[in-house]
Amino acid sequence: MNTGQIISGAGHLALIGWALFGGVFRAEPLPFAVTDVTAISGEEYAALIAPQTAPETAVDIAAPEAPEVEESAPDLGSGADDQPEITQPEVAATPPPDTRPEVTEVTPPAEAEVSDEAPELTPPAEDTAVLVPDVAPEAQPQDADRVAPEPVAQPEPDTQVDDVVQPETVPDQAADTPREETDATAPEEATTEIVTEAEEPAQAAPSRSLRPQTRPARPEPQAETQTAQQAPDEPAVDNNAVDDAVAAAIGGAETGTATPSGPPMTRGEKDALRVAVQRCWNVGSLSTDALQVTVVVGVTLDSAGKPTSIKQLSATGGSGGAVSKAYEAARRAVLRCGANGFDLPRDKYDHWRDIEMTFNPENMRIK
Amino acid sequence: MMKRFLTLLMALTLLAAPLAAQSPGPLRIEIDEGVIEPLPYAVPDFVADTGAAAELGRNIARVIAADLSGTGLFRELPSEAFISQITSFSSPVQFADWKAINAQALITGAVSVDAAGKLVVRFRVYDVFAGQELGQGLQLVGTQDGWRRMAHKVADQVYSRITGEGGYFDSRVVFVAESGPKDARSKRLAIMDYDGANVKYLTDSSSIVLAPRFSPTGDRILYTSYETGEPRIYELNIGNVSRRVLQTQAGTMSFAPRFGPDGQTVIFSQTQGGNTDLFSMNLATGSSTRLTSAPSIETAPSFSPDGRQIVFESDRSGTPQLYVMSSGGGEARRISFGQGRYGTPVWSPRGDLVAFTKQSKGRFHIGVMRLDGSEERLLTASFLDEGPTWAPNGRVIMFTRETQGASGRASLYSVDISGRNLKPVPTDTGASDPAWSPLQN
Repeated sequence: MNTGQIISGAGHLALIGWALFGGVFRAEPLPFAVTDVTAISGEEYAALIAPQTAPETAVDIAAPEAPEVEESAPDLGSGADDQPEITQPEVAATPPPDTRPEVTEVTPPAEAEVSDEAPELTPPAEDTAVLVPDVAPEAQPQDADRVAPEPVAQPEPDTQVDDVVQPETVPDQAADTPREETDATAPEEATTEIVTEAEEPAQAAPSRSLRPQTRPARPEPQAETQTAQQAPDEPAVDNNAVDDAVAAAIGGAETGTATPSGPPMTRGEKDALRVAVQRCWNVGSLSTDALQVTVVVGVTLDSAGKPTSIKQLSATGGSGGAVSKAYEAARRAVLRCGANGFDLPRDKYDHWRDIEMTFNPENMRIK
Repeated sequence: MMKRFLTLLMALTLLAAPLAAQSPGPLRIEIDEGVIEPLPYAVPDFVADTGAAAELGRNIARVIAADLSGTGLFRELPSEAFISQITSFSSPVQFADWKAINAQALITGAVSVDAAGKLVVRFRVYDVFAGQELGQGLQLVGTQDGWRRMAHKVADQVYSRITGEGGYFDSRVVFVAESGPKDARSKRLAIMDYDGANVKYLTDSSSIVLAPRFSPTGDRILYTSYETGEPRIYELNIGNVSRRVLQTQAGTMSFAPRFGPDGQTVIFSQTQGGNTDLFSMNLATGSSTRLTSAPSIETAPSFSPDGRQIVFESDRSGTPQLYVMSSGGGEARRISFGQGRYGTPVWSPRGDLVAFTKQSKGRFHIGVMRLDGSEERLLTASFLDEGPTWAPNGRVIMFTRETQGASGRASLYSVDISGRNLKPVPTDTGASDPAWSPLQN
C-alpha cells in the first residue's frame, strides 16, 4: 500500500463519515402549525357534555284554551257608507278621429280609432327619477342608400366619395415647398340597417342591459397546423396521435415546404384584412337565394398584396345560379379592394400569400 | 414494449410539432359583414349600325338604365364620367377604363334595322373587375314599335345575370284608373307597362269596376263590376277586349275573384243571405264548389303557386285575420296573430311569403310574413295603403296609396320586400287596385 492509496483511503473515509454524521442526508423538518390546548379534568369534561344529552319526552301537554266565539254579528250600523273617494287617473287627450277615407270598397277604419288599451298614467316625478335612468333617445339609423357595418354621416356637398377621409388642401403661397391642391374626400353616407317607412321610433329606455360578449372560441389547433397538401375542407377525423405526428413529420419532409419567414400574422393584422374585404363585399344586388350561400374562396396574392388568382373552393346553402352569383360577388370584393394591393406586412408574405376567405352572408339577409 | 411505444410516440411528437406549427397553410379569414348598396354600372348608348337606328339605340339604353336603376339595386354612372367610348359592338372592352370609374358592370349593345324593317338588338354584359363576360351575348328581333319591350327584355337579362333571380321589367299592370272628385269618381279598367308607359283603357267609366286580376298566362283578366247594380264577376280577354259574366247563383253577390295557377279554376267570394263564403268555379264547365260555410265573412282568397292551398281573410275570430286552408276547402289555419286587422293577402309567386294589408292604430300598412305567420315585416305606413300585388319575381310589391282629405287622390306605389326603394308609379290619372301580370313571352 503506497502513500497515495493511504491518503485516498483516509480522504474517502473522512468524506463518508462527514456525509453520515454531518447531516448531509438529514431532511429539513416540514413546517407545521402549533395550536395551544388546555387540558381539563374528567369532571369538567362530563359537565361540558351534560347539556347535550337528549331531553326527556314530555307526555302530558296542556291544550291551549280555544278562543271564545262571538256568535252575534257585529253592529254594522244603519247609515250608508260614505262614497269612497276615487281619484280618476288623468286620461290622455284623445286625438281627433281621422277623417274617414271616402273609399266605398274599403272597410271604414272606425273601430281602429277606439283604443282598448288602458290610459297611460303619468308617473310621479320622483318615480321617474328612480326607475327610469336619464337616457338620451336612441339614435335612429338614418335612411341611406348604403348599408354598412359602421354608420357614416353624410359627407359635405362638395366632398368626393372615397374610402379615405382627407381634408381639402389649397396651395400655400408662404410655404417653402409648393403643396399639391387636393379635394376633400370622405366615405359615402351609410346606415347600419334598412329603415322601412313603418319602423316605429326606438324606446328611450333600453329594453335590456348590455351583456359582455362571449369570448370567441379558440381557433382549432388543427387549422393552424394544417399542411399545405391537406384539402381545405377535409375534416380532421383521425385522432391517433402517432399517426398525426408521423404524417406531419413525413409530410413536411416530403413536400419540403419552406418555413415561413417572419412572425405569424397577428389578430389585428387579420382583422385589418377582413375589414378591407368586407368594405367591398356588396350583397345589395344579390337575390334572396344567393344570400343563403356561404362560399369559400381561395385567393393567392403577390408580394404587393394584389390578387393573382381567385377560385371557388366550396359553397354551402344553395346550388346552381345562386352559388355562381354569390361567388361572383365575393370575387368582386377581392378584386375591387385588392386592386391596389391589400395593406399587409411585407415581412410576413409567406403567411398571407395563400388565403381562404369564407363569405358568410347570414348577418346580411335582413339588415 | 409499452414503454418503448410511448418513448417513440413522445419522440415523434416532439419532432413533428414544430414542423407542423410552422407549415405555411393558407391564412383563413371569415367575412360575415358586408355592405348593401346599389351596384354601379355603365350602359353607353347602343351602337347604331345605321343612322336611322341611332335614336333607337339611345332610347333603348335609357329604358334599360331606368329599369335597372329603378330597382334600387343598381346605380347608373353618368356618361360624362366615361373614359372610353363603345364605338363598335365587336371591339374588345378596355376594362381598365371602366374600372377606373368603378363601373362594376358594363352593358354594351348594338341596334340595327334589317331588310324586312325588323329591329335587331344585340347586347353583352360584362363583369368589369373580373374582366369577363357575364353569360353570352344575345340578339333580339322585333318590330320597331316594340323597342320598349325589347329594352325591357334586355334589362331583364342583365338583372338576372347579375342578381341570379328573374327580372320583372317585361310585364304589365292592370289597374283601376280614377278621375273626378271623390264623391263622384269614375272608374275604368286600364292596362300599362310596369313602369307606367303605354296606358290603354279596357272598359268605359259607365259603371264601377274593382279588383282586376291577371290570368297565369296574362291574356285574360277577372274583375268585379257593378254594371247590374250588384257586384258580378267578369272575365275579359285582353287581346280582343271581349268579356263574359261568370254565372253564379241567382240572388247572390260575387266578388274578389282570382285565377288558379291552371288558369281554369277561379276562387271568389259570394254573399247570400248576409253571409259571405268562398267558392271555387271551373271556367270550362261553370260548376261551382263551396269551400267555406262559416257564419263569418270569408273573402280575398289567393292561391299558392302550386295551387294546393289558399290564403284568405276571415273575421271568424272577431277581427279580420289571415287563414290558410287546402284549395279544396276544409279546416283553416290562422297565420296572423299581431295586433290590428289583416286583409287582402296575396301569396308570393315564389311561395315563401304572403303580402297583406294591415290596419293598426289608425294607420294602414303593407307588410309581408311567412306562411307560418313568422317574420312579419311592415314595409309601409300611411293614411291608406292597401291591395298589394307581387312582381313576377317576388321581389317587389305594388299597392294603392290614397291621400287624406276631400282632395285625396289614389295612386300606385311600389316597394322592395326589404322595405327599401318605396316610390310612386307614374300614372296620368288617379290609380288603384293594381294587379301585376306574369312576365310576357
